[in-house]
Amino acid sequence: MAEKILRIENLSKSFEGTQVFNNISFVIEKGELSSIIGPNGAGKTTLFNLITGYHIPDQGRVIFKGQDIAGIQPHRIVRLGIARAFQRTNIFPKMTVLENVVAAVISRQRRNLNLVSPFRNNKAAEERAYEILENVELADMAHRQSGILAHGNQKRLDIAVALALDPELLLLDEPTAGMSPEERKHTVQLVKRLWETLHITMVFIEHDMDIVFGISQKVRVLCYRTILAEGTPAEISANEQVIEAYLGEEV
Amino acid sequence: MTENTLSKRNWIAGVIVVMALAVLPFVLSKFGRTGEYWIWVTTEMLINGLFALSLNLILGYGGMVSFGHAAFFGVGAYTVALLMKKAGVSMVPALAAAPVAAAIAAAVIGWFCVRLIGLYFAILTLAFSQLLYMVVFQWYTFTGGDDGIHGIPRLAFLDPVNYYLLCLAIFVVCFLLMRMIVNSSFGLTIRSIRENMERAKFIGVNVRRFQWYNFIIAGSFAGLAGGLLTELNRFAQTEFLHWSKSAEPILASLVGGMFSLAGPAIGAAVLMFLKIVLQQFHQALVEIWAIVLGLVLLVVVLFAPDGMIGFFQRMHGKSDA
Ligand SMILES: Nc1ncnc2c1ncn2[C@@H]1O[C@H](COP(=O)(O)OP(=O)(O)OP(=O)(O)O)[C@@H](O)[C@H]1O
Ligand SMILES: [Mg+2]
Repeated sequence: MAEKILRIENLSKSFEGTQVFNNISFVIEKGELSSIIGPNGAGKTTLFNLITGYHIPDQGRVIFKGQDIAGIQPHRIVRLGIARAFQRTNIFPKMTVLENVVAAVISRQRRNLNLVSPFRNNKAAEERAYEILENVELADMAHRQSGILAHGNQKRLDIAVALALDPELLLLDEPTAGMSPEERKHTVQLVKRLWETLHITMVFIEHDMDIVFGISQKVRVLCYRTILAEGTPAEISANEQVIEAYLGEEV
Repeated sequence: MTENTLSKRNWIAGVIVVMALAVLPFVLSKFGRTGEYWIWVTTEMLINGLFALSLNLILGYGGMVSFGHAAFFGVGAYTVALLMKKAGVSMVPALAAAPVAAAIAAAVIGWFCVRLIGLYFAILTLAFSQLLYMVVFQWYTFTGGDDGIHGIPRLAFLDPVNYYLLCLAIFVVCFLLMRMIVNSSFGLTIRSIRENMERAKFIGVNVRRFQWYNFIIAGSFAGLAGGLLTELNRFAQTEFLHWSKSAEPILASLVGGMFSLAGPAIGAAVLMFLKIVLQQFHQALVEIWAIVLGLVLLVVVLFAPDGMIGFFQRMHGKSDA
């Protein structure tokens, strides 16, 4: 059996008395490319927030490589090997594209406390950053100010920043949100290619069914405060409950 | 590429400015009492410039608005005063102790303050500095209360010109140190926190810890500035810790430009110059200093929101480096 990289055990979370989800459990296998779908407000982002330490669960455990990480501070979880890109683009807007990625590489190198040598002289960091920018097709914009890039480019930069942390588990929250259909397709292919070349475990949240079913090995449906169904794209699209609860209203 | 030629130009400009500043007191000393007064003024400009630069490490680069930076200026000032006057320590070790004492104070105060952000951070820094102000004000036997500590000894060879040169040398060294810090990996980390604190956490940065380190570094440079002013005036007084002293480097950074390294120091010098010119024009005009200052700030905010440096850069079509 494949190694389990992440185990969600009996996780519950509510905000001001409203329960987002109740007692959910699932397991993510190492190296898997999976997706989470669910209607707006189902708690998909909240799930990522719980895994990455942004929120503390009311109950339950988040076990990453055998260690319970629920409630640990975000920066420590990053150090353990989980990185994320955000639904709403989350970059360093006044820095250049390259500086955004270099900042993450330097953090990964644990050089943040170097007060002496100019970060621009850190050739290893720069090379690594360029390598990642090539991967997300942003290398030719390396010296542009990131905050004024087109939306789609900012989304990919967000992914690049996450990749710069060399994560074992990469969480992508709607990597194609706000993109044109063309751009969506392109970005999905990019995500797929990243997964194939980097051999990391990836989980992404997505609304577009075609995208989800096209590239995921496994799909989990978050609905009605629980994991409604979980399985291969074929299994999910044939699942009565899912069709009724979620797919039905989409069509 | 252009970045290199730009930095080369900055270096040449810097060397020219420093050389001009080094010659200045010798020129001024030809002008009798007026000249001597201006040597004293320019020395204080250097000191206030250093103080403004120190604040800008947290303000411009760190994005943390502190209303209590005078606390560390004051700790440095009183460290020098107490060591020299009461403990008989000589000037060099006393001046060296000033940034250390200020760093310790900043470590303690900062440890609490970095737990808060935005306005709450600002208010807490103000609260701590006012607390320190009250302690110094009340503790008459130790600090001299509102009399301050007077009669701090001065080495014979440190005439006004030499003391000016000493301050200039310290200013230049500190400037280069701060330049090194803001360009370092640490500096990039601090900038990333300013730009997007949440994202900084998610690239693995312990945000509070780095803000704390930066706060301590800024505090220690402020302490050195305070120590230098004590030695210049040969006294330390509670004004050095007053909240209005905390406002000075904020205003200087606004006027000079907080997104450049030299901006705050230039702003500090310009504001001091304006105030003194006003004073020389007519003593009573100091009364309207607040109005003049208000007008200056209004002009800055309306026409040069990134300060004088930013304004000149735009005039020359250069982008912010
Ligand atoms: N910090 C918070 N405080 C209070 N309520 C919150 C918070 N974060 C999320 N919620 C609520 O929890 C629910 C789930 O939100 P979440 O953002 O996880 O949904 P989502 O599945 O990501 O939705 P979308 O598809 O729109 O991104 C929503 O009702 C939301 O209003
Ligand atoms: Mg969401």
